[in-house]
Amino acid sequence: MRTGSMGIMQDVSNIRGQIDRRSWWRRNALFPLGVALLVAAVAEPTFSGPSPAPQNLSSHSISGVRSVIGLENVKPGAKGTITSIRAGLEFSSGKKNTEIPTSSIQDIFTGEESRQDVGGMKGTLVEAAIPYGGGRVVSLFSHRVDVLTVEYLDPQGGFHGAIFVLPAGRAAAFRDDLVAQGAKAFIHVEGPKPGEHKQ
Amino acid sequence: MKPRMHAPILSVCPLAVCGVALMMATSLFAQPGPPSPSQEPQKITASSILLERIVPLEDLLIPEDTRVSMYENVIQQLIKTKKFQHVYRSGDRHAVDAPDLVTLRLTPEAYKPGSQKEREVITVAGATSIKVRLQFVTRDGKIPIEKEVDGKVRFYGENLRATYDLAKKVAAVVNESF
Repeated sequence: MRTGSMGIMQDVSNIRGQIDRRSWWRRNALFPLGVALLVAAVAEPTFSGPSPAPQNLSSHSISGVRSVIGLENVKPGAKGTITSIRAGLEFSSGKKNTEIPTSSIQDIFTGEESRQDVGGMKGTLVEAAIPYGGGRVVSLFSHRVDVLTVEYLDPQGGFHGAIFVLPAGRAAAFRDDLVAQGAKAFIHVEGPKPGEHKQ
Repeated sequence: MKPRMHAPILSVCPLAVCGVALMMATSLFAQPGPPSPSQEPQKITASSILLERIVPLEDLLIPEDTRVSMYENVIQQLIKTKKFQHVYRSGDRHAVDAPDLVTLRLTPEAYKPGSQKEREVITVAGATSIKVRLQFVTRDGKIPIEKEVDGKVRFYGENLRATYDLAKKVAAVVNESF
């Protein structure tokens, strides 16, 4: 009997110990977890990249811009930051900086387009690899972008054109910024838009 | 019995010989002769080329990014051909002094804006296409070569890729003309 009651007492103490350990875990492990989640929630907007709302234009700079074609010494398709400086337009990609002087700008055009979320050679291969035509469903996902076209002259008077793809809703403000600094820009008739705009 | 068996063979034999002779004669006449001077593609000699600004026909609206992309792609492809010592852009002051300069004039005549999404989802729809009249103009205003070239993007790629396709075709014309 003694041994039996002792056994029951041990069992009870074991259960109490387990409950104590669980509550200790709850107190000591969940609290930091909660703090971490709170910190993550506060920090999320900071690290989530460019916000959809236009940034303060006083910085005159837009990141995540793609130079499609037309910039000297910049590889077509290079990504970088476009900046409206006093001297003109500057595109910096990595260590390379290219400038278009304000006085050489002849005209600025803005437009908008739709780009596929999954694109390029890799995207095409991924889409092709999805069975049962799933790649076509992936192709349905697209996002809007702004297109900024700048016509300018080189020091010899030769005509150049540079095309940039900007995040949506940023091109018009950037053009206004360049015009305010003295760049030429005429009022244009809108050309036919690609099929995406028929939606 | 035997002479009777030989009779049809003997009558068919001259006919077969005639057929073979006729075929040989036909193949001899069908052989291509030396190319006449009028059939050879006309070659132009020039050490430098100037690409004029691309201005479409009056009633044709083309997005400016398409026009600029066309211009820049053609310039790149002209340089790649290595047929010229200098490739001048429109307005370049140095082009005035170039001795045997040829001007390349591209006039867009038709433009159909497509859709990248339609191309990738439906495949058979959404192609972007541009048709351009190509002219080489000499110093004295003559147009020795005039052609129509088109650029398309049918399946995959952005709309501006049609301008790259067009530029490649322009470069092919340059290669066969200089």
